[in-house]
Amino acid sequence: MGCRVGVDIGGTFTDFCVFDEDSGALHSLKVLSTPGNPGAEVLAGLRELEQRHGIKADQITYFTHGTTVGVNTVIQRKGINLCLFTTEHFEDVLEVARLKMPDPYDLFSRRPEPLVGREKVFAIPGRMLFDGSEDAPLDEDAVRAAVDAVRAVGGEGIVVSLLHAYRNPAHERRVVEIVNRAAPGLFIVASHQVWPIIREYERTVTAVVAGYVQPRVAHYLGSLQAALVEAGVGSEPMITKSNGGVMTAEAGKTQCAQMLLSGTASGVIGACQVARMADVRDALSLDIGGTSADVAVVRRGQPQYGVGEMIGDFPIHIPTVSVTSIGEGGGSIAWVDAHGVLKVGPESAGSNPGPACYGQGGTRPTITDAFVVCGFLGAPDSAGLGYGQMEMRNEMARDAVATIADPLDMSIEGAAEAMIKVGVSGMYLEVSKLVARYGIDPREMSLVAFGGAGPMLACHVARELNMRRIVIPPTPGVLSAFGGLIADIKNDFIQTVYLDLEDANMPTIRDGFDKLRAEALQWLRHEQAFTGAATLLYSADMRYRGQSFEIDTLLGEQDIGAGNIAALAAAFHGEHERLYEHADVDAPIQMINLRLVIVGQPPKPELPPLAEAEAELAPVQEVRIYADGAWHRAAIYRRQDMRAGHRFKGPAVVAQDDCTTCMLAGFEASVDASGNLVLEAEG
Amino acid sequence: MAIDSVTLEILKNHCRAAAESMAFTLYRTAHSTFVKETEDFTTGLTTPDGETFATPTDLGATWFVGLNYKNVIELIDHYDEGDICLTNDPYSGYVCTHSPDMHIWKPVFHQGEIVCFVVGHIHNTDVGGAVPASLSRTLSEVHQEGIRIPPAKIMERGVMNEDVMSIMLANVRMPEQNWGDLKAQIAAMNTGERRVHEMIAKFGVETFREGTAALLDYAEQQARAIVRALPDGRFFFADYMDEDVANGYPCRIALDVTIEGDGLVFDFTGSDPQIEGSVNIPTGGEVRHALIMVGLVYVLYSLDTSLFLNSGVSRVCRCILPSGTIVNPEFPAAVGLRTLSVQRLQEIIFGAFVQAAPDRLPASPASGGPIMNVNAIDNKTGRRVVASIDPITGGAGGDPFADGTEGSGANSSFMKNTPVEINEAEVPIRILRYGLLPDSGGPGLHRGGLATVLEFRAEAPNTRVTARNRDRTRFTSWGVRGGRAGTPSIFLLNPGAEGEVNLGNTDILTIGPGDEMRVASGGAGGWGNPFERKPDAVLLDVQRGFVSQASAKRDYGVVITNGAIDQAATAEARARGSGEASNAFYDYGAGREEFELLWTRGNYAALTELLQALPVHWRFFVKHRVFETVEALDETELRGDGSEIRAVFADVLKNYPQLRLPA
Repeated sequence: MGCRVGVDIGGTFTDFCVFDEDSGALHSLKVLSTPGNPGAEVLAGLRELEQRHGIKADQITYFTHGTTVGVNTVIQRKGINLCLFTTEHFEDVLEVARLKMPDPYDLFSRRPEPLVGREKVFAIPGRMLFDGSEDAPLDEDAVRAAVDAVRAVGGEGIVVSLLHAYRNPAHERRVVEIVNRAAPGLFIVASHQVWPIIREYERTVTAVVAGYVQPRVAHYLGSLQAALVEAGVGSEPMITKSNGGVMTAEAGKTQCAQMLLSGTASGVIGACQVARMADVRDALSLDIGGTSADVAVVRRGQPQYGVGEMIGDFPIHIPTVSVTSIGEGGGSIAWVDAHGVLKVGPESAGSNPGPACYGQGGTRPTITDAFVVCGFLGAPDSAGLGYGQMEMRNEMARDAVATIADPLDMSIEGAAEAMIKVGVSGMYLEVSKLVARYGIDPREMSLVAFGGAGPMLACHVARELNMRRIVIPPTPGVLSAFGGLIADIKNDFIQTVYLDLEDANMPTIRDGFDKLRAEALQWLRHEQAFTGAATLLYSADMRYRGQSFEIDTLLGEQDIGAGNIAALAAAFHGEHERLYEHADVDAPIQMINLRLVIVGQPPKPELPPLAEAEAELAPVQEVRIYADGAWHRAAIYRRQDMRAGHRFKGPAVVAQDDCTTCMLAGFEASVDASGNLVLEAEG
Repeated sequence: MAIDSVTLEILKNHCRAAAESMAFTLYRTAHSTFVKETEDFTTGLTTPDGETFATPTDLGATWFVGLNYKNVIELIDHYDEGDICLTNDPYSGYVCTHSPDMHIWKPVFHQGEIVCFVVGHIHNTDVGGAVPASLSRTLSEVHQEGIRIPPAKIMERGVMNEDVMSIMLANVRMPEQNWGDLKAQIAAMNTGERRVHEMIAKFGVETFREGTAALLDYAEQQARAIVRALPDGRFFFADYMDEDVANGYPCRIALDVTIEGDGLVFDFTGSDPQIEGSVNIPTGGEVRHALIMVGLVYVLYSLDTSLFLNSGVSRVCRCILPSGTIVNPEFPAAVGLRTLSVQRLQEIIFGAFVQAAPDRLPASPASGGPIMNVNAIDNKTGRRVVASIDPITGGAGGDPFADGTEGSGANSSFMKNTPVEINEAEVPIRILRYGLLPDSGGPGLHRGGLATVLEFRAEAPNTRVTARNRDRTRFTSWGVRGGRAGTPSIFLLNPGAEGEVNLGNTDILTIGPGDEMRVASGGAGGWGNPFERKPDAVLLDVQRGFVSQASAKRDYGVVITNGAIDQAATAEARARGSGEASNAFYDYGAGREEFELLWTRGNYAALTELLQALPVHWRFFVKHRVFETVEALDETELRGDGSEIRAVFADVLKNYPQLRLPA
């Protein structure tokens, strides 16, 4: 027995979640991130673990890790000097993209500058066709000339993305061979290797994002592996992935495209686990940090998946846990426009200078400052933010809020509450779009709130959305790290077939799935060296003929094997009906992509139940809080004092190491056996 | 404002959430691929008077922000709870603007009183009529553009009106799609209604009523503040479509914008008579018609993107739209392809405003590229394929701050293309090239955005190609403040081959296996003097293949030798080039300059005045006779002051004793 450690690196803090298999205890820990020296925070955290909890590196038997190093490389544009090879006459693929602009009402709206400038895109003659046949042979001399051109512009790496390579990658493979021979050691990656999907822009931009960051990520993972070995951690680190799973760090060095959104994804995985433990079927997960709120839909305890999630300015078309990011968080700044109307965001104080109450130089009022002014945060004895790294400066918060209270002609606390309400109504707007997109009703769902500012805002958000129940996990500040700790080993596989769903095509479809299964098992058993139980999920991207979008439809393995067309079609009709509320049972169906997900389940930590409460929960002190236009008395409780079965009513404040829960009147809290704090709207 | 500003902002977010939820519901449940692909639909919430106070901005068409439902609401004499009304008649109340657009509205009641309407439209792929998809520029009467349903209740007290439904479905080519999309619209209305009830429960009905009125006032105040920051004055601008009908004469839209304090007047006197084709813009002469307001909304929002978009914005403006002209045609003029004229109209509004704010607004965006459709039998499957292969867009105009965006942008920003790989999988064509067209952007300190170019080869016999909204082969996108015009659009059959054909503005043709087509939009206009563009930026354009070495030298005075700037030669070329540069505010391009040697502003003023005095059904006819005759005039007879037009007009009329001028 030993310890399992999950680590998630965010912009401000690095979160640790530790499960001690001997005692069954779950510890959390936050240390400041060191973006300038990635990896150092991991070592700092390991030292802290030993000091605080006596956990030594050599006791760590399982180590998972999520990092933003890839995303930050894109956002800060600090990737390698990358070049792109495309099919001749299609070199503008990144410039043209899909034509659509971010804000169609603005004549000045523009696409972000591509990661590879057009001057570093080189044309390769040769042509594959849709059916995989070769129309014109690859011009190998042109490839060699392009390598010279790459050298001339100081290129540090190449992405090759040729038309129809998802169907027949022979030309891309040959380009890689030629480059390897002509320029040994020069980094090159082909679009079919990253994610072989039809649609040239989507495949190319995905490969470009991957290529742009890969050498940086690989270097980081290498340093991390070395640092962990030196620290004495024996097990190979596992890296969290955008699909909510994990893979070995070694695999991450070449498959980094799959780990770019791992932080948000593992937060949702953590939220799903919380939902299951709290016996919640359908939920919205709400992860609020300093600058953004990430919302995801959990149905039947499972996350939803999608493609096209944004990495900085660019969409990446790799299966990813679907998360909607709202540009509003604890650090969002309030201001008053020229017409006297109060606005919140989109500007954020971020982590530097941060809210005024952090006393780091921020002077403009943020949502967090509003909570200080309203008395929810900053009570003398309540635990500060970030394990004592932050001390609340209440006066600074008041001064900041005063700057908008004056023009609004309101009291300072009145203005603070107005800020919260306006900010929450902005979140309501974005969540409304999300639930309308899914066709779901939030009133029938629970809100799983986490992140540094999630529990602070949860009651306000729930009230605005008419949600009746909120679940706040035991360690809301480190749920992404917790999610990594319990994640499965998981990978996605895809093959484009573009076939009508009919008997004559079933052999091709079966062969395709057989090939994907072989690939998947190879990945799990050999590359990941995982020997435990594995699950294979078969699905296909399907559509009615004439439609331009596909639905990923889960298929029965037996139906595929038996060529049961009726069952495969029924699965699609059912999914179409569920998503769009109609199906056309007579229309011909096309199968565009075959897909397979392989899941290996490592043993999961088994958390012992929380001890039963023996007496009523006693508040540690009382504060005055401002809500609904008046001051009220509210109790402050400590999370660590809570036992299963404890109940109390709002208004109240729950303080814990990694965040503060602000509970409004009209909510009643109970503590469940898993240690979740469950807030239910009364009446 | 009676309501406090904090509640207003919160209510605003809730109203927008309602409008966005309606849009997402419609988008999610719509049946037709057309709606899903083009997002040609709207949703919104209006006051009981029909003023739209909230619209979605994430999804849907960008054209209908200021749409006012008042006229159609009033055409139904009584509403009960559970009623839903619809119309697709462009001549019943001027809310619907061409027959494929099915507009729908539902009253929302609270304690027996209407508190607002939830509204929206969807573009149906087909509503019957003379041609599939109901749109063609050869049509001249609205009757040919499909069935028209005047405002009617499709649901009465929650019960479907099967009579209206069956008449509609009997007259369209793909009734299941129209029916499916109508269901999605109804679902969106019901979503909106539910959201309004939730808002009333949260805010109270009085706050809701006051708040929705205040949201209109708020948008108006914002818009007025933007207008107030512009200088007072009169700003004239006119531009042309290449042809009013196939192989016809240019069609002019003229606009005089008056800015006075925080208000605007748009006077369209001088615009061409209504057309015996389908590019007429049906406005009914409304002082604030949504189709006219599109360009204004773009301008105001671009000047300040915090502008809340609703009908309140258009309150700053009043329009004068002479009856019987392209901007206010009389029944039963066809209006199906007003898309093309409305796009030109937007550019004309941009052209007038850029005089008022030359340091804050861009040059003309590119246009003239078509929506390309291919109809052919797939050799592999033997099935007929009808597919929209791509909208051929072009870039944004150069602006005071940067180059125009390449390939798309500005008022075409909502367009989406189809991937090459999908087209080749679905349609029996081979794509030979898709990308940006070098040297197409108007040179400038900030260059105009490049056109997109598509080249493809047909693989099947009898491949029918439609290229809707072709234009700008002659009149190009204008540059401003020394920036140059963009290049003309291109439509060629078998380019570079023996039998190359310049197809001009042809919008439909049949080609066979092996035939190749090249199609490109026009380029966008440039902003500022190209000879002051940083040489490094010109060099980068050359390295990127956006500008040729020859153009760099000719248009920018930057001489590039062996991949580097030749400093001495550049200094010399720039000195020479700057001397030759024109000081004109606009650069219209060669096609328009040549046309306006004959058709001066004075001549157009005379023509407008003379045609205005004729009965409407004679105007277009006489315009053509005048153009024919004027073309034959000797250069020495041209004075440009209108006198030659008066003379020609009098001659023309002599041939038509049937025409009786009103006394």
